[in-house]
Amino acid sequence: MVSRDLVIETKGLRKSFPGVLANDQIDIDIRRGEVHAIVGENGAGKSTLMKMLCGLYQPDAGEIFLNGEKIELSDPGKAIKLGIGMVHQHFMLIPRFSVTENIILGAENSNRGVLNFKKAHAEVEELCKRYEFDLNPKELVADLSVGEQQRVEILKVLYRGAEVIIMDEPTAVLVPQEVDELFKNLKLLVEAGKTVIFISHKLDEVLEISDRITVLRRGQKIGTVNKEDTNKKHLAEMMVGRPVLFTVEKGEADVEGTVLEINDLHYSENGQAILNGVNFEVKAGEIYGIAGVEGNGQTELVETIVGLRKPASGSVKLLGKDITGKEVVDIRKEGIGFVPEDRHKRGLVLPMTVAENSILGKHNSKDLKKSLLLDYKKIEALTKQYITDYDIRVSSPQVEIGNLSGGNQQKVILAREFSGEPNLIIAAQPTRGLDVGAIEFVRKELVKARDAGKAVLLISADLEEVMAMSDRIGVIYNGRITSEFLPEEVDHQQLGHYMLGSEKEGAAK
Amino acid sequence: MLNELFSPDMMASAIRLTIPILLAALGAIYSERSGVVNIGLEGMMVVGAFWAAWGSFNYGPVVGILFGITAGMVLASIHALVTVTFKVNQIVSGVALNVLAAGISRFSSLSIFGMATTSPHVSGLPKMTIKPLAEISWLKPLVTEFSILIPISFILVGVTVWVLKYTTFGLRLRAAGENPEAADTLGINVFKMRYAGIIISGAFAGLAGAYLSIEHTGMYVEGMTQGKGYIALAAMIFGNWSAIGAMFAALLFGFAEAISLRRITTLVPYQFIKIIPYLLTIIVVSGFVKKSDPPAKVGTNYERGEG
Amino acid sequence: MNYKYKDWLMQIAFTFGAILFAMFIGSLVIMFIGKNPITVYQSMLQFTFGRSDSIGAILFKSTPLIFAGLAVALSFRVGLFNIGAEGQYFIGALAASIVGFSLQGLPWFIHLPLVILAGMAGGMLWALIPALLKVKRGAHEVITTIMMNYIAYSVVHYFVADLFLDKAQNLPKGYGSPMVRMPKILESARMPTMHDFVGIFGVEMPRYIYLNWFFVIGILLAIAVYILIWKTPFGMEIRAVGQNPHASETVGIQSKKVYLKTFLISGAIAGLIGLSDLLGYIGYMDTDFPRGYGFTGIAVALLANNNALGVVLAALLFGFLRRGAEGLQAIEQIPMDVVVILEGVIILSIVVASQLMRRYFKTQEKKREKESQKTSASDGDKEGLENVE
Repeated sequence: MVSRDLVIETKGLRKSFPGVLANDQIDIDIRRGEVHAIVGENGAGKSTLMKMLCGLYQPDAGEIFLNGEKIELSDPGKAIKLGIGMVHQHFMLIPRFSVTENIILGAENSNRGVLNFKKAHAEVEELCKRYEFDLNPKELVADLSVGEQQRVEILKVLYRGAEVIIMDEPTAVLVPQEVDELFKNLKLLVEAGKTVIFISHKLDEVLEISDRITVLRRGQKIGTVNKEDTNKKHLAEMMVGRPVLFTVEKGEADVEGTVLEINDLHYSENGQAILNGVNFEVKAGEIYGIAGVEGNGQTELVETIVGLRKPASGSVKLLGKDITGKEVVDIRKEGIGFVPEDRHKRGLVLPMTVAENSILGKHNSKDLKKSLLLDYKKIEALTKQYITDYDIRVSSPQVEIGNLSGGNQQKVILAREFSGEPNLIIAAQPTRGLDVGAIEFVRKELVKARDAGKAVLLISADLEEVMAMSDRIGVIYNGRITSEFLPEEVDHQQLGHYMLGSEKEGAAK
Repeated sequence: MLNELFSPDMMASAIRLTIPILLAALGAIYSERSGVVNIGLEGMMVVGAFWAAWGSFNYGPVVGILFGITAGMVLASIHALVTVTFKVNQIVSGVALNVLAAGISRFSSLSIFGMATTSPHVSGLPKMTIKPLAEISWLKPLVTEFSILIPISFILVGVTVWVLKYTTFGLRLRAAGENPEAADTLGINVFKMRYAGIIISGAFAGLAGAYLSIEHTGMYVEGMTQGKGYIALAAMIFGNWSAIGAMFAALLFGFAEAISLRRITTLVPYQFIKIIPYLLTIIVVSGFVKKSDPPAKVGTNYERGEG
Repeated sequence: MNYKYKDWLMQIAFTFGAILFAMFIGSLVIMFIGKNPITVYQSMLQFTFGRSDSIGAILFKSTPLIFAGLAVALSFRVGLFNIGAEGQYFIGALAASIVGFSLQGLPWFIHLPLVILAGMAGGMLWALIPALLKVKRGAHEVITTIMMNYIAYSVVHYFVADLFLDKAQNLPKGYGSPMVRMPKILESARMPTMHDFVGIFGVEMPRYIYLNWFFVIGILLAIAVYILIWKTPFGMEIRAVGQNPHASETVGIQSKKVYLKTFLISGAIAGLIGLSDLLGYIGYMDTDFPRGYGFTGIAVALLANNNALGVVLAALLFGFLRRGAEGLQAIEQIPMDVVVILEGVIILSIVVASQLMRRYFKTQEKKREKESQKTSASDGDKEGLENVE
């Protein structure tokens, strides 16, 4: 069925961003009329690769071929003209426009600039019929469900005559029934001779829909396999690499009483339930790791604990004291050190100096003041202390923190958050985007804190990290901790299975 | 008193006072729908008023109006250059343009007419009268001796609705203000659309100024805009960024101004009637009556997100 | 560290570039009316520095601009845009003049501070409404403050022309109509001029120069604002919230409170803008009370890059321009409004220059980043090999 000729071929694609090498030496080949999945963990470089294919990013090096001819994709418009359309993970729709308006935008059929809506509606209806899309062209996009909005996105590229449709994590936002509907649509598209590139990290879906699968890891291509020649286990291994290469030197946990206790925590946003009754506790002297596919409520859970979001119901207790829904400043006073997942948004004020960032949040403490004014001598001395203790590579405390590398920025956050003798440390994605040396440093510091008898809550999308660091592991899925394990009880594949929604028998709380 | 409040004279006056607000508000819609706040409307009206008077003084009213429109467009082009190309804060640019416009007009007035505050009298377009209707006494003030720009302004409301809704240009313009990133990925030149939106708004504001000086007053008077550019902005917000809504808001505000000018009530000091548009706008942007619903990306400069 | 010094120099260079560009545009304007810009600028300099009275006049003219610049700069620091300084100083001046003419029989050392406090309270009150609407309802402060400006004009007009119109003005018969103004402010509430003070140093300032102690208050306030911003914990909160409200909230700073407090302080300072004219010069509130300081304040703050001490320098520059413009009008018959054009162009060129500067720094940073990547790339390769093993 699938013809063997290549639609798209890339050779040696490379793309880097400040501090990150997102893609390196990527060679892929896509055959006409196939569903080709690109899989990999978060940060493996899937989206960057796709954005180069649709003209949003220009590669630093390498070549792209379309039907055997070399092409330059200087902008998205060019890609569309060549028949490559992208359905973005975050929809590029205008809620205030109707379905038809969204679809024709930029490719309008007009008579001297005057739109012919009758004709446009008819065209859209015709497309809907051909590919069995259930949509009303006149409806406002704002009134559509997420699944319907995605159909509008697909129609947009079809309307422009796309032959190759790139879909970036299309199922991430869909409920199961919508996924079935989407797959039905995709099959029709392929039957009509279109080619689909499907980006995902959900292996079940990938195995269901695709003909061939390319695996990326850390910006590099690991390999391409036929669906028939592989299975979930094999793919998972390709994705995460060989099981646990690094070890963290840590002794037995010396666990004491409960520090953090979360009871039936609920949180919702814009009417959408995000946390659906979270229960767990973290004890002094242990690292409790939360594993899960991103977007299952990790961010909201952490921000609810530290007071940045107000829960709908449930309770958060720290050392027996109820801190539910209190202000951040009051919660921090109870002794929480917080390493946020987004350093630049939540962790630091980039235009301020290292010294200022080091004391942010403690700037009202008496130790740092001389009568009403800040005592800059003390601040500088404290910062210098941090710089030595945490091996921060910086020439002076007065350097703007935005000029430091990611690792050194993270060390400043660690210094600030760990130095107040907190009872609980919350570290969200603490090693994301760091270089190896800094990763090791951060991990060691977390273990050190745990050995000093602090409770550590670790949230990470990096399965290896969770496995190696944690004394207990909780799996979060759809806003709930669905299972808890000791690290020696499970292996990668099992844990991955639970992260995708299975529940440990009899263990659901 | 009620009689006086809704007398034909009063209505005619209200409509005359509505026009500059309406025209500038229509202009604001083009700019804001493309994603750019145009605080500089006031300044564009000021230069429009001055150069229209100058043009009319030298070459007659038609040329005067063209001069007014052009002056508004020139000032608007600066706004476009500064905000779209150089990505400067749109508010700052607008404020600067207002300062600049005030300076230019006074300076030019002094060096050209030798008077800072007024120009000599200038002629306007021929006035219109609808004869058959003028026979009806209660309609008379409304249909006799009115400026041709009055019906044109109301026609422009319809034109604006049509352009925004039923033309390619309108669709793309709105897309640039709602989701520039999406528009960009669809091959629409967001920068071009925003330039267009701003410059059209300058043309409208310039026309509004021209109406004020050569049609309404018959001369250029320093400070004659009296913040009408800001009231127009308010009318646009109050009308929820739609041409029809802005028209009703402009009528309301024009009516309020007519009342305060004629001082027909002593119940409330006329200064307080004057603040009605401003108060209403504050209430609207604070979401007290209904959700104010601006274009999603208005006020933010678009930068292509290449790493 | 050494590049930081270079960046600093660049910043100054860009600022001067912007001023030069504005002067260039000014030259075009001057040429437009058929004069030679060089002789014009020359006679402007001669007028402002060649006369003994000019220094005093410059300082007097820059006084309100110092307050205006400080008010706007402070709001910029916390990431808000106080276009409402204009309305705030009108209400401040109104409040001050009511207290100034109505409280009889107070000694000056009580009355004058009371009047100044009334001015600050008036400005603060006018800032309170937009600030509350911003924090509680999310209303954009730019729109609300613009509207508040016009409400202020009307309110002041009502007080001046109706409610507190000075009906006791006695005019010689047949000499015009009475002025539309409020009663005169009592002597006990007037701000003394600095004639006696500069007299100590043997400087004789002509009587028609109204330089008064508000200038000194402005300088002191600038220092105070500088200390507030850079040396106090609250100042740190202001800067942190202004640059990254999310990170500030994460470390426990309550950004809404910081917005509210800072905006109120900004309003209080704005309340002082009109007082130098009111208490040191005009002596009453009328319908011609000087307008537009609030907008010039935006220019001052931008030129000063929101630095409190820079505000003083920028205000002096604008004072100099205004004084020079008076000279131009007198000597060269060039309308003094050329200086308003200059002000507008300075705002535009300074903001464009700072954007260009930001871009320049960004590319510089990227260069640095790339270089540091090159040096660390070898480490990365090693790590890759380990992984394959």
